[in-house]
Amino acid sequence: MAQRSEHADRVLDLARAEAEGFGHRHLGPEHLVLGVLRDGGSGASQILEAHGVNLAAARVELRRLAERGLVPGPRPSDAELLGLIGIDLAAIRRTTEQTFGGKALGWAIREATRARRRGVGRVPRTPLRDPPMLISQVLVHAGEQARALDLEVIGPELLLLGVVTDIQTPWPRCMNNRWRRQLYASVGLPKGYRGAAGPLLEAFGVDLDQLGGALLAELGAGVP
Amino acid sequence: MGEATASTEVTQVAAATSSQDPEVGLAAVAALRGLVEVLEALQVENARAKGWSWQQIAARLGVTKQAVHHKYAGRRFRFRR
Repeated sequence: MAQRSEHADRVLDLARAEAEGFGHRHLGPEHLVLGVLRDGGSGASQILEAHGVNLAAARVELRRLAERGLVPGPRPSDAELLGLIGIDLAAIRRTTEQTFGGKALGWAIREATRARRRGVGRVPRTPLRDPPMLISQVLVHAGEQARALDLEVIGPELLLLGVVTDIQTPWPRCMNNRWRRQLYASVGLPKGYRGAAGPLLEAFGVDLDQLGGALLAELGAGVP
Repeated sequence: MGEATASTEVTQVAAATSSQDPEVGLAAVAALRGLVEVLEALQVENARAKGWSWQQIAARLGVTKQAVHHKYAGRRFRFRR
């Protein structure tokens, strides 16, 4: 199984920072595109720029998507919300970890959010966990491409190729269930959200097949 | 765009409308519930590890022993005693 390279992890961190900057409480494929652009030092970002997508314009475009309601507008973070009712999230996290240990806290987070019979007391997410990463399909596609190309590590190019494949492939049915819908609603995502990277790239008139071909060429596989 | 700016903006908007705006108030309650469920799971599991009965735990939580058993009997984490 291919591992993410340090470069790809850096792109993910930048994508998280971008999501934070927009006041988004989820990490989606659209933020990954911004992360790749902000990182700037990869073949993926050069290819994106060659297709007319740059960071400043992409940010403007994402804000426009928020106005159209395809992604949420800025929302306060859980820490800020809890602060409003006088609860210090950081202090609670710190004391809980000190008292019970990180392992027990991780278990309790899974326990509170896992599927239970008749859903007793289950919450879609908890402030003690990072914002949900809604890029599982991107990572799956990136992994599949890595296997197909016989690559050991997943770099920014494969991540972006994963985003492109994700846009072109419908999400599997298992991604549409009550708990997922509740999770999406809890971070303010519109009904039927399937990642906003498609509309984002579409706004620049990017041909996805061409972009995918260019990424494959960069990865040394030649244009199929 | 500066991330700090957007975040401060959000906080200011939230603070200005905290008690009256249901959008913010309900989101805060949802966050609080997410927090409470995790803390409850931790405390119940800790009590079980210390040998407390479901009845004792339920009495402290103010629910029936069946309710707390139904919710937590399938747990998997073991605190070291």
